[in-house]
Amino acid sequence: MTKVRTSIAIGAGKMAAAASRVSGRGEGMVVGGKVVLRMAPDAMSDLADGRVAALVSATNGKTSTTRLLATAVAQLGPVLSQPTGANMTAGIVSALAYGPRDGLAVLEVDEAYLPSVVLATNPRVILLGNLSRDQLDRMSEVAMVARKWRTMLAAHPDVIVVANADDPIVSFAAEQAPHVIWVGGGQIWTADSAVCPECGSLLDRTTAQWSCPGCGRARRATTWELEYVGGSGTAIGPDGSTYDLSGLQLPGRFNASNATMALAVCAQLGLELNDALTRMCTVTAVSGRYAVVKVGELTIRLLLAKNPAGWSELVDVMAPPPNPVIVTINSNTADGKDPSWLWDVPFEHIRGRTVIATGDRRADLAVRLLHAEVDCVVIEDPYAPNADLPPGTREQAVVDCAATYTAFHTLRTRADKEAQARS
Amino acid sequence: MSESTIRLVSLYPTLLGTYGDGGNVLALKHRARLHGLEVEVYDVDPGGAVPHDADLYVLGGGEDTAQVAAANALRADGGLSAAANRGAAVLAICAGYQLLGESFPDATGSPAPGVGLLDIWTDRLPQRAVGELATNPNSGTGVDLDLTLTGYENHAGATHLGKDATPLAKVLAGSGTGDGTEGAVSGRVIGTYLHGPCLARNPELADRLLGWISGRQLETITEAAVEDLRRERLATVLDR
Repeated sequence: MTKVRTSIAIGAGKMAAAASRVSGRGEGMVVGGKVVLRMAPDAMSDLADGRVAALVSATNGKTSTTRLLATAVAQLGPVLSQPTGANMTAGIVSALAYGPRDGLAVLEVDEAYLPSVVLATNPRVILLGNLSRDQLDRMSEVAMVARKWRTMLAAHPDVIVVANADDPIVSFAAEQAPHVIWVGGGQIWTADSAVCPECGSLLDRTTAQWSCPGCGRARRATTWELEYVGGSGTAIGPDGSTYDLSGLQLPGRFNASNATMALAVCAQLGLELNDALTRMCTVTAVSGRYAVVKVGELTIRLLLAKNPAGWSELVDVMAPPPNPVIVTINSNTADGKDPSWLWDVPFEHIRGRTVIATGDRRADLAVRLLHAEVDCVVIEDPYAPNADLPPGTREQAVVDCAATYTAFHTLRTRADKEAQARS
Repeated sequence: MSESTIRLVSLYPTLLGTYGDGGNVLALKHRARLHGLEVEVYDVDPGGAVPHDADLYVLGGGEDTAQVAAANALRADGGLSAAANRGAAVLAICAGYQLLGESFPDATGSPAPGVGLLDIWTDRLPQRAVGELATNPNSGTGVDLDLTLTGYENHAGATHLGKDATPLAKVLAGSGTGDGTEGAVSGRVIGTYLHGPCLARNPELADRLLGWISGRQLETITEAAVEDLRRERLATVLDR
């Protein structure tokens, strides 16, 4: 039962959110949530009230995995989730306050905020996907995040954890929980789990089964596995049951991994799994990710690329050479203020394409690409009618555009505004 | 491989590679190519022997646990110290810089033993230093750079220099070591908090290292993309 104080706060938050939307400052999720929290600091636990089915946290794939899972959980009835990926305290409060009253909640949570959100919402299942370097000016180092997750899980022995067994840092955090469903979700980016987070020894990765020669930790036996061959995935569940993931509309190995982990959560929530997967296959774009939009003269496919691990999975999804690609790098707070991470991205793999470098930190990108021997043109606004684009760009049906977080959202907003102006 | 090929060792990139500092290796290869020099790069990870006879050793930044592991492995191996005593050049960034000293704070804040190549020791700044860093190189260090150094710092270390180490530069903007100076030089061993990566944003320093090793006077070569980036970054923190 929602307390009176929280109810009044929700009313005030609704007005603030509407004001924010009308003034064009944002979608109102965060503003509304902030107003609620200021008036009712306990609003999150009050609103959660035992109906949080699952929390999803990871460095990469939170929003997509949450959308896949929330879409599947609708099998049980109304589901509330964040429509926009606002995954810190205010966004979560807002989702709980303004979603369907009797709905189950499936929420994504920022890695650093997960402990406080678990404490307030008492979820049934927590999905832990992966941990890698991201926004190093803001986030703790990955081992530090894992240690905080360990402390959190030790304090919540009743929660069921669904964890990626292939990520040694996630595994280190999850092993603390009494009920873990291990999923072989795969991991392409291993540079942030070179050493054991417990004893500091260099992990042995000579086989797919990582192990630590120092303290004996090793990849756990899994209940679920992703098999990904030739661009198409199969999830293998308990007792060898298989789920063909080729119908997923979200592209790439990492989305097949996200779906496998989501299926493992669905099993814990008692869903009928074939139906759950069918529902996941209806998801096309997630908060603009993979959406094809028109901006200025160009039709682009929006790809969110905010850190080296994300990039290392994205290269295979991009149109092959010699198609030019747009890469937009910003360094606002939500992007990480230091774009040094560009030097950890294997840009050498996109040789053969011309990169149109844009965004606030296009100069950093240009220097990075110079060192990767990738052709690059620096253009402040490639969507302007007179932009000096590489030959053939305007003739391309869809140009892939990889963007950091704030650049991605600026492009979405611009595309929406231009679409409205056309209609 | 010819006689004159420069032998570059990237030390423990799996441990000390968190902040894009692998870019320093790319920058050295890139600058060497511009100057017509040949470079052979060897990645060495803990457990592998550190060659004693290379020309240049580079170390990057890393997390606390990895930093302790790297320091322990380097002490046990002894190859880096042997090479530096022989006159090889060393460039160490952030965590790599700290671990070249006498001691540095581990994940719990307790002092962990370093490699002892630089006469420095590190404890904690009152507040983590995160942001653009611009410094004016000191003269008389032996490095003798003319141009402002630009980079990004992200560390909690207050590094104190003993009598056998000279500050690399004076801080123009940012925190540096906390006492108005940044970095340390001892002979051909250079430590700094500059990420960015350091050598991509400061090709003059890359050229100095390559000049030391090749024994050649390298001509000044500038590249537009790099100059644009330097100008833009310096303008964000310096009033000019």
